[in-house]
Amino acid sequence: MRAQGMMRGVRGIFLITALVVVGFPLVWVTLASFKTPAQLNDPSLIMFSPSLTNWAYVVEEGILQAAGRSALVAFITVAISAIAGSAAAYVISSYKAGGTATRFGILAAQVLPPAVLVFPFLTLAYVTQVNDTLIPLIFAHLSFVLPVVTWFLIGFFDSVPRSLEEQARVDGFSRFKAFLLVVLPQVYPGLGAAIIFGFTLSWNDMFYGLILTPTKSAILPVAIAGFNTFRGVELGSMSAAILVAVIPVLIASFFIQKRLVQGISGGAVKY
Amino acid sequence: MLLPLLVVAGIAVGLPLVYAFYLSLTDFSLTQQGVAQIVGADNYIASLTNEGLWGAIGTTFTYVIIAVSFETVIGLLIALSLQKQKWARDITRAMLLAPMFITPIAVGLTFRFLLNDQLGAIPYLLKSLGTNYDFLGSGKALFTLAMIDVWQWTPFMVLLLLAGLESIPKQPLEAARVDGANAVYIFRRITLPLLTPILSVAVLLRSLDALKVFEYVYATTRGGPGTETETIQYFTYQTGIQFFRLGEASSMAFILLLIVLPLIVFLFRRIDRRTSS
Repeated sequence: MRAQGMMRGVRGIFLITALVVVGFPLVWVTLASFKTPAQLNDPSLIMFSPSLTNWAYVVEEGILQAAGRSALVAFITVAISAIAGSAAAYVISSYKAGGTATRFGILAAQVLPPAVLVFPFLTLAYVTQVNDTLIPLIFAHLSFVLPVVTWFLIGFFDSVPRSLEEQARVDGFSRFKAFLLVVLPQVYPGLGAAIIFGFTLSWNDMFYGLILTPTKSAILPVAIAGFNTFRGVELGSMSAAILVAVIPVLIASFFIQKRLVQGISGGAVKY
Repeated sequence: MLLPLLVVAGIAVGLPLVYAFYLSLTDFSLTQQGVAQIVGADNYIASLTNEGLWGAIGTTFTYVIIAVSFETVIGLLIALSLQKQKWARDITRAMLLAPMFITPIAVGLTFRFLLNDQLGAIPYLLKSLGTNYDFLGSGKALFTLAMIDVWQWTPFMVLLLLAGLESIPKQPLEAARVDGANAVYIFRRITLPLLTPILSVAVLLRSLDALKVFEYVYATTRGGPGTETETIQYFTYQTGIQFFRLGEASSMAFILLLIVLPLIVFLFRRIDRRTSS
């Protein structure tokens, strides 16, 4: 019994340490975003009267517009992915449509290094005169969001009993109606999680954004990187910019954590 | 119903993939006027004999091995602790998983700030303990970058391993406990073997993702000191964007693809076996 109590103590200390390691950088950046340059010079300063100068500065520098562009790209990417992805995931799950090759393609596209695809997107954007606009970026984000969303949904369609659809067909539903009105509602929780996860992936991408929209339509991660400077005085505004990108996804993530496992593993692990 | 997916994927993945292969066979450059010339395998020969690329491949694999090893061990320990935890369970889990949702450039910049010599918290704490450590100095920078990866991606391991642990059937564990087996024995002989399938999927997914490391390098070292932290993705970016040599950069990307392809196939077979059984 005493050994068990000790184990529990060790576990508690371990988890608390992990929480501190996770929380410390985030708390630090939050504090820094409210500090004046003079206060930033003192790393030990925890109690101080907060200043909104950094926040005002990043808003003035257009961080909200960048956030808006990021949200727009993510929204369009996810909308297309959800429609094409749920239809495909359903037939792949129920009818093994496309066979092994399709499933392999979907997995491979998710883990494909972006360095492979980014240069074609860049040259094609120049050729079609849409360089430094959001259009090539949306295609680039589709290249990984669509496979992730589809993969995610296959895992959820797999857990819907086939009898449900068969019953709907007996009741006179067409195959498409059976899908739309009977099977799809069964995976709404999974679809919701896939949409939020896909949105997060698009929102968080910097590599494609850096190359395809480096200047006038810079998306949020690229805009944040713009605050990166060797001059210490701007660390406060950099911190504020970081938080603009981080806070929305952290809030969104709380709603999908439980469903992520089933989605990421393509149904290999039920949770 | 597969059609919409095939059309969109054809435009967003298939077309650029084919075009990338074409680019890799030309002398295409962003600064050059006129039509690119087909140069055949020249880019591939140039890339394969480029010591910088091999250096970057070595650096990247070192990075992946360090980061994923730490993530696996720490992730497993955290998952085991969380599984037994009862008090404040959901909030602890939510907080510990948070880093994996943050955009990597924000994580990179945050650590650049934290590790800053004059203004950062970590050097400050070390100084007050009477010691110091040059986190981004020669011989140390790559390890520091790997530790940033560990901070952000251990949660991914925790997420998958915790799910794996909770899906393990209870009976064998109970039986072993009744037979008087100790905790270490139960873990090694029952828990770990039953966890291996999901563990291998988690390690493969994480490795494939870590191979793409770019943002931390971009935010902190820009490849330095020297070329110590030049990763494949960063090296390709430099060749293509800073030096404008898109043809050569595309050939590098394909060489990278050939290297990771076996890993992708292996991962697919792992997952496919589990879902079809």
